[in-house]
Amino acid sequence: MFSNLEMAYVFIYVCLGLIAAGIILLFQMKIKHNAEQRDMERFTKKHHDYFMYVQSHLHDDVTLELPPGKLTSAERRVIQAKCMEWIEQFKGDAREKLLQLCRDAGFVEEDIRALSSLRKDRRIEAVYRLGGMRAEEAVPQLQELMNRTKYGPMTIIIARAIAKSALQSQQIREMLAKLLSYDKAIHHMAADILLETRLDSASLMRKLLDDPDPGLVKISLVAMWGQAIPAFVPTLDRLVGSEEKDVRAEAVKLYLSSNPSLKDDTIAQLMNDHEWEVRAAAAKALGSLHAAGSIPLLASALKDENWHVRNNSAESLAMLGEQGFETLCQAALTGEGPARETALYRIEQIMSKEGEHEQVEQMVAFNKRKLVYDRYFGLQTSKRIGTVAGVGGDYTA
Amino acid sequence: MSQSATLQRVQAVDFYGRLEEEVREHSQGTALLFLYCAGDSSGSEAELSEVQSFVDQLSGDNGKVLQDANYGVMAITLPGYSLDAAHYQALLLKQHLQGRLGEADPRITLAALTETPSMQTMKQMAESTRLSTSSDIHIFTQEEADREHNRILIVDQDATVREFLQIRLAMQGYETLEALDGLEALELIAKWEPDLVLTELNLHGIDGLPFIHHIQQLDVKESPKIVVLTEKRVEQTISQCFQNGVDDYVTKPFSPVELDARIRRCLH
Amino acid sequence: MVTIYYVMIVSVLYFVIMLFSFRNIKDIFRRAKYSTYNTLSGSELVPSVSLLVPAFNEELTIAENVRCLMTLNYPTYEVIVINDGSSDETLKVLIEEYGLTLLPNPQIRGKISTNKVRGIYYNPQYPQLYVIDKENGGKADSLNAGINLSRYPLISSIDADSLLEKDALIRMARMYMENPEETVAIGGDVRIANGCVIENGEVKDVSLPRRMWPMFQSIEYMKAFLGGRIGWSHLNGLIIVSGAFGLFRKDYVIAVGGYRGGYPGEDMNIIIKLHRYMLENKIKYRVAFCPEAVCWTQAPDSYNILSNQRKRWGRGNLKNMIENRDMVFNPKYKIMGLLTMPYNVIFEALNPYFRITGLLALLGYVLLDMTNWKVLVVFGLVNFLSGYMLSVGALILEEIAFRRYTKLSDQVKMLLFSALKFVGYHQLGVLWRVQGHIQYLQNNNSWGTMTRQSWKDKKEAA
Repeated sequence: MFSNLEMAYVFIYVCLGLIAAGIILLFQMKIKHNAEQRDMERFTKKHHDYFMYVQSHLHDDVTLELPPGKLTSAERRVIQAKCMEWIEQFKGDAREKLLQLCRDAGFVEEDIRALSSLRKDRRIEAVYRLGGMRAEEAVPQLQELMNRTKYGPMTIIIARAIAKSALQSQQIREMLAKLLSYDKAIHHMAADILLETRLDSASLMRKLLDDPDPGLVKISLVAMWGQAIPAFVPTLDRLVGSEEKDVRAEAVKLYLSSNPSLKDDTIAQLMNDHEWEVRAAAAKALGSLHAAGSIPLLASALKDENWHVRNNSAESLAMLGEQGFETLCQAALTGEGPARETALYRIEQIMSKEGEHEQVEQMVAFNKRKLVYDRYFGLQTSKRIGTVAGVGGDYTA
Repeated sequence: MSQSATLQRVQAVDFYGRLEEEVREHSQGTALLFLYCAGDSSGSEAELSEVQSFVDQLSGDNGKVLQDANYGVMAITLPGYSLDAAHYQALLLKQHLQGRLGEADPRITLAALTETPSMQTMKQMAESTRLSTSSDIHIFTQEEADREHNRILIVDQDATVREFLQIRLAMQGYETLEALDGLEALELIAKWEPDLVLTELNLHGIDGLPFIHHIQQLDVKESPKIVVLTEKRVEQTISQCFQNGVDDYVTKPFSPVELDARIRRCLH
Repeated sequence: MVTIYYVMIVSVLYFVIMLFSFRNIKDIFRRAKYSTYNTLSGSELVPSVSLLVPAFNEELTIAENVRCLMTLNYPTYEVIVINDGSSDETLKVLIEEYGLTLLPNPQIRGKISTNKVRGIYYNPQYPQLYVIDKENGGKADSLNAGINLSRYPLISSIDADSLLEKDALIRMARMYMENPEETVAIGGDVRIANGCVIENGEVKDVSLPRRMWPMFQSIEYMKAFLGGRIGWSHLNGLIIVSGAFGLFRKDYVIAVGGYRGGYPGEDMNIIIKLHRYMLENKIKYRVAFCPEAVCWTQAPDSYNILSNQRKRWGRGNLKNMIENRDMVFNPKYKIMGLLTMPYNVIFEALNPYFRITGLLALLGYVLLDMTNWKVLVVFGLVNFLSGYMLSVGALILEEIAFRRYTKLSDQVKMLLFSALKFVGYHQLGVLWRVQGHIQYLQNNNSWGTMTRQSWKDKKEAA
């Protein structure tokens, strides 16, 4: 019997030991953390005047003095953290001045040394700070560290630091290629990282667009969202015919957003692409193009299996004057399933804007549409057609 | 420095007279500091000599210390010092005094002179030093002397950003107030009626777009101009902002110089 | 004797899982500290999310909850509140607060069948907010209705009595973007808000609950989330993503047929179904846990409500286990089949029975021969110490990475309550679970009462 309990006794002692150790550790950590916190507040207060001084003279054409007095390392951390906060908020001269200050104060040098620290904590902290201080001299070391690190959140932190610091486009390219090499489809994250660069992003992206690696091309396409620049149009034109379906979809989206003039057969081709993203982008672009053949194409796209394509088509039809609106009404009356639903929704949206039109032209346009509407649905506008029912649909998002 | 060692306390009239003389002598590129120690030790001998010894050890030996016997306000001239250099010396001086005289609570106002200031301006500076409620070193600008201020309300949850904008805009001669979140801001706008609201979109309590909408619904004489300064770079949000009557949209990270220009353009 | 060993084995297993948590905690701390959210939170590159908020009789908390959700630090998202046929003023509160009007001809895209939707409310002034009014059909049914309306590729389910920290969603999205193709679901950390100061949909001041029941739960949650889930997620064996706050890939949720109605435990059910789907189709995937994304929830603070909640959990858990019994010890389902499911069946679902029968056997044994009283003491100690050790471990994890409670007194209080938990509360937990199982066998499928307190009253009460 007792031999059986023996195990249990051992178990109890082990538990007791671990609990005691745990509680001691717990209190020690708490006290230490609270002390650190207090120190930080104290130092922030102590250097308040200095911080005011720095902020007051960021715009002047002067070199900023270093913080006065002999500083403990904790104080240096506080000052460095404050500088980095500012660096993230500002650009232009103000940022340059702060970067110089960090360099003059020896913060950069200190953290480069910390990169080869044995403690992982210190290394990652240094990586983060070097990125914050845009330390171009640390890039080779950062790259090496990135190569040694297993893929995970830390990789992203290092990649960001490289993107922030690097002054050569080659380094950024290598970093991005490394990110892609993990095969995790992180193009969006990579694009966000890429946008942190200090280099001229336009020329950097043009370089990446010509890169043989389709992954890099995709990253730069993604990064270009919302900033289509005319200079890119020829390159985009080439990429529209790309074999890679992701690349093609992204390129078409960007290409169309630059309002190019399209030939009728190009339009037809795009509207029949097997990638829904391409069709959706094309449907959207047709709204502002006023091309002759658009309306029938859009009308048939209302029956598309993809919601985005349907929705964009309806939106574009609504933009194409009376005739487009009439097509919508027709679809709402005679169409079926998703096409009808999409059309109805769009019509309701337009009609609900009644009375919001201040300018005469808008009013005129609206009244024309109202006439069409009344012709199709009768005069009792208050009694809206259709019910809330999920007639068909799709799940692509 | 025998001449300064024998320095006497001077009467009020004489104080400004001598100060003016001093300033006129180096009318170009002189920094002028006013210092007042709040608390018991104000105007004591110890304090004066500490200040004197601090000024003495500065390079360029033309610095002068004068004290107004009535109030204990000290004036320090630093010929050849630009505003930033004088600011830095002021903070060293403050640290020096705090280190030497434990209980001292120095209030400092400083200005870089481009021409001899009027007696009136100097009195104003001395007065504001003496009556100052904050222990921050205050930079006195020409704009502050002219009493035409536009009011700007800064709305941001980030204390770092608020502090910077406050310093920056105050130096441009704007009157500023800060609000941490949208709801507080709405109250302040109704009460204080600022000319311009500089706001982040990412706020506590109420989201950016509804916040902007609410500002325009407020029952104030003149709706304030709205400049958005935000992290958000989503195209849709930007266009929604402009549709809602926002006057300008600046994304972070921002260039302070550019922000100044945009604000000026909005107000004029 | 067997029981003592059973308890010891459970503890050791738990301890091993916790060791995995310890292994990961430093990384979690670092990624929370050194990842920059400021560029992401304003970026067009972050995936858009539809937040789904099922609400059944939540008139007291819903306004605060929606106010909180409307001010998240996130680039593009929409909030869909689903009023599940509430008998109180939930819908009215929302309509008045946001000036909503009925949308004519709304567009519903999905086609998971749900109970009848009565209407969808909207106000163009708040373009991100939609309110669905539907007939009562339970939480799962509401979530499905929300999925049907949602526009974005990611969905996030959030309880109407919970508040998200401003950065919670962007932190999750960062984790998602790190590996978007493989991630099917991410769970957030749920903490107890009772006792905290809440203002304008934001937790202003964190402190521990004053009342006993929430305090116990607070510790319980910390232990489960930090001690357990971090470890399980490391093995990719998470069996549940809390219904209070989780992020999902919409395409996969739809692929598995949406949420299952009719029974509680829909949050565990959806995760099991996702595991099953991905493993059966041999798609590489992960179900992740993001402890730095924090959701504060209102814990039941009275015996009745709490016991109902726990019985419901017991019932749902048993149902899920029985439904998916084919996965247990099935190598086809890898970690899920070989570890997570057996663990949940043997050490979670059946746990009460082992302990109770063990205790009874020991009691009988001791009664026969009083000289063996020691055995009983040993049994008690093993139970208590192993549990307490795990609590302390969880507190250490909290201190390393999160430090939400800064006061030293709070720490003492937590240690004290971790110990008190074993006198009464723990035993009640066992009892409730058994009662839940009995209800399941009796086919009782009610939800029990779950009354809410408004966040405002909370402040005064707590």
